[in-house]
Amino acid sequence: MTTWSLLLTCWAFDPLAIAVCVAAPIAYFAHRAGRSGARPVPLALALLVFTLALASPIGRLADGYLFSAHMLQHLLLVLVVPPLALMGVAPAMGPVATRRIRRVLFRPIVAWGLGVGAMWLWHEPLLCDAASRSPLVHRIQEVSLLAMGTAFWWPILAPHGASRLPPLGGVVYLFTACVACTLLGILLTFSPVQVCSVFAHPVDELGVMPLVRDGWGLTADDDRQIGGLLMWVPACLVYGVGILGVVGRIFREPADDGALTTEAAP
Amino acid sequence: MSLATSPLDHAADEHAAEEHGPFAWVATVDHKRIGILYLFTSLFFFAIGGIEALVIRLQLARPNNTLVSPDTFNQLFTMHGTTMIFLVVMPTLVGFGNYVVPLMIGARDMAFPRLNAMSYWLLPFGGFLLHFSVMAGGAPAGGWFSYTPLTETPFSSTPGTDYWVLALLVLGIGSVATAINFIATILTLRAPGMTMGRLPLFVWMTFVTSILVVLALPVLNASIVMLLVDRQLDAHFFLSTGGGNAVLWQHFFWTFGHPEVYILALPAFGMISEVIPVFSRKPIFGHAFVAASTVAIAILSFGVWAHHMFAVGLGRTADVFFVVASMLIAVPTGVKIFNWIATMWGGSIRFTTSMLFATAFLIEFVIGGLSGITLAAAPIDWQVTDTYYIVAHFHYVAFGGTAFGVLAGLYYWFPKMSGRLLSERLGRWNFWLMVLGFNLTFFVQHFLGILGMPRRVFTYPDLPWWGTLNLVSTLGAGLMGLASLLLVANVLYSMRRGKLAGDNPWDAWTLEWATTSPPPHDNFSEVPPVRGRRPLWDLAHATGSTPPAQAASKPPRVLDKGAVAVWCFIASEAGFFLILIIAYVFFNLAGSEPVGPSSSNVLDVKKTAAFTACLFASSGTLWLSERSLHRDRTGPAAVWLVLTIALGAVFMVGQGSEYIGLYQRGVGVATNLFATTFFTLTGFHGLHVTAGLFVLAIALGLALSRDFRSRRFALLRAVGLYWHFVDVVWLVVFSIVYLKAGR
Repeated sequence: MTTWSLLLTCWAFDPLAIAVCVAAPIAYFAHRAGRSGARPVPLALALLVFTLALASPIGRLADGYLFSAHMLQHLLLVLVVPPLALMGVAPAMGPVATRRIRRVLFRPIVAWGLGVGAMWLWHEPLLCDAASRSPLVHRIQEVSLLAMGTAFWWPILAPHGASRLPPLGGVVYLFTACVACTLLGILLTFSPVQVCSVFAHPVDELGVMPLVRDGWGLTADDDRQIGGLLMWVPACLVYGVGILGVVGRIFREPADDGALTTEAAP
Repeated sequence: MSLATSPLDHAADEHAAEEHGPFAWVATVDHKRIGILYLFTSLFFFAIGGIEALVIRLQLARPNNTLVSPDTFNQLFTMHGTTMIFLVVMPTLVGFGNYVVPLMIGARDMAFPRLNAMSYWLLPFGGFLLHFSVMAGGAPAGGWFSYTPLTETPFSSTPGTDYWVLALLVLGIGSVATAINFIATILTLRAPGMTMGRLPLFVWMTFVTSILVVLALPVLNASIVMLLVDRQLDAHFFLSTGGGNAVLWQHFFWTFGHPEVYILALPAFGMISEVIPVFSRKPIFGHAFVAASTVAIAILSFGVWAHHMFAVGLGRTADVFFVVASMLIAVPTGVKIFNWIATMWGGSIRFTTSMLFATAFLIEFVIGGLSGITLAAAPIDWQVTDTYYIVAHFHYVAFGGTAFGVLAGLYYWFPKMSGRLLSERLGRWNFWLMVLGFNLTFFVQHFLGILGMPRRVFTYPDLPWWGTLNLVSTLGAGLMGLASLLLVANVLYSMRRGKLAGDNPWDAWTLEWATTSPPPHDNFSEVPPVRGRRPLWDLAHATGSTPPAQAASKPPRVLDKGAVAVWCFIASEAGFFLILIIAYVFFNLAGSEPVGPSSSNVLDVKKTAAFTACLFASSGTLWLSERSLHRDRTGPAAVWLVLTIALGAVFMVGQGSEYIGLYQRGVGVATNLFATTFFTLTGFHGLHVTAGLFVLAIALGLALSRDFRSRRFALLRAVGLYWHFVDVVWLVVFSIVYLKAGR
């Protein structure tokens, strides 16, 4: 198998991905009539990344072959798809829905715990192995990652100021999450044993491992390190981008230059 | 101090007695005086560090020179680096911040003036400790980053390193206290209308820097504490003979060390961002981008320390990630450079000495930044690491960047501090000599590094070009020395004879220029209304219809300065414990268990669990005490407080009995790595509990003396937060040390 054939053929038929990809545009255009205010670009990007994470070779390789691919999928589902989707959907949410969501679940501390828990929980060796072995557990993992990711990003990206954290709080929220991820990343990178033992000796049903090990020169050790480093460096960069967005809000406050004088003019 | 007769003293009259007494400068808690004390202290240490640098350069002026012995040379570069970083650059930046930040945000003083004075006095104390080593048997000689195992007892037997550790601990505590003070000041004492989005960029960058200090310095403190435990108690954290790991020191040190680079650079960026707009007669281009890119730099700075360690052999995979992350820093830094250039573009530039230094900063810092990008590429780093290329690079950042920025700031703010302008004529001589000397000294070192000349070696063989280039470098250093003398002369001369400045000599826009030069004791008789980022410009161009500032906006949420300070302190302490916990996990849980005593065979989990329950219960009783006080029932509040102290004391007794039991079984700090990490971690936690008990006792004393009204409620709440934090730390320690053992 060559890299090209891997990229071209290793796509999974993933009913969840297909269902979402069909349902989301329908819902978007159905609502469009009512001028919902949803933003199409982030929504489309969210769907694209979602499909890549589940159905593309990333999703296949994450299924017990490569720890790094698993980590990539994991990060996309927690850190990329939910914020993009929220950015797309949030403006369309009514104030009632917002308030209800805020009351039920999305208190910042809970949301933070869910977001960081999503990182740590599924790398508990037992759960990680179970997810790689049983398709059902894997599906639960994917859905729960998306849900926890959405919960995590809500206090940052909620549609109305009242349900958002104030800027400094938002910075602390994201920075501490970054620290928690960094710790896990360091642990995964430098710990001598594979957290998910499945990836140390993959069962090669696809016949892809010769390509990975010999063609790409990726040893099991490299694979484990890349997984840890993905959690460590790029994951923190995502939080960093979030922090920049939140800081940007400080400078977009309505009480900024000039605005005050015009607003107060009689 | 000899300053007593300078115009600096002509401030407010009503405080005359307080301001001119024999101990006026020693006992002061005025942020302006403390700022000036900082500046003069760092000038003093700059002279020491500068002389050390000149001796280094003289030794290197020609090949095979024997002016100083190898060991003296090692001490010289170690002291030069440590002095310049911790006793010159950091205090200078803090000094300017101290003087200017409260003025710029329209405050009367820092949030905690007495804490401010304490932070300052820790500086001369730390400097004294560091230099006392010279008399105690030899200065530290392991370089400013004190790599282990070189700095461990078998290889550095003089007490130099111990004094280095103690000095840095003292200075670190002072820096964290100052940083907390800055954060509380900036968050809680801004004048009405001064939103975070309108903060002058120097204030903003001091704010971001302070956050970096609060998070990064504890990492240094924790690691040097471990080094001290190694050296004084024969432990083996970083000594491979006992199973320790020398590379761990490098990880810890650079986790602090890289953010430290930005702690040294960001406030200078802030000064440039004030100077360039004023002398270009234009508002800064892209204010939000300059401010946000600072935050980006601060975040990235925590994720790239491994680029100092490419030569260690972290593995190809790790190298690639850190190469990419390091290069990313060039993006926000580049954004800043372009913003400054765009600010100058098309402006009517006045090249005062301040602006000249700011312009030179742009050029020199870009050179330093570009060599930094080359070093971020691991293969290039392997070639030139530990050569003079590195020396050239970080001097272009630290001197061409930070020092030139500071000089721009000095020429800019000196009139505000003294009431008199620095001489422009001397200033120009100072500038050109400095720029010429600096570039002669350090530009040629790039070539020396590429030619392979290693840094930190006391002399070199007579290879082609090496002698010539080194001589050029030494001549340049002489010019820099001359320029520094001119600067001192200029300061001393202008303080007495300089041209009177008036309130606003540069026609600048920020609040510090609204008051007199020097400002009165309370800074402002009335703070001008703030309606934008340039309040004085708004004031000068006010149209008749502008309403008073406070009428339009809703009253902002006011944060409690005590709460802000305690939360910052907790963040800082969390960093400290995090490093100790990481060390424990690294040595006990990450690999195989250490030989000898370990958590599974010497610890009594059940007994400790009982004492742990006491500690957690004390959090509950303290909460009950707070609640009673909140309902104004001081009696029950005091009772709950007594119970809290009793429960805390029981916990300490439990820990004490556990220690005694371990010692009786022959388990001491130096026994093995489990014992070392166990005693260090739980010992520091116990120290914090003890400190908490003392503070609780003080609170109880206040309660009993009936001085416990609503004003004191904030005190108890602050103490309470700290106490809960100590309990949370124990929760983590207990589950990692004891419960993991039970499995």
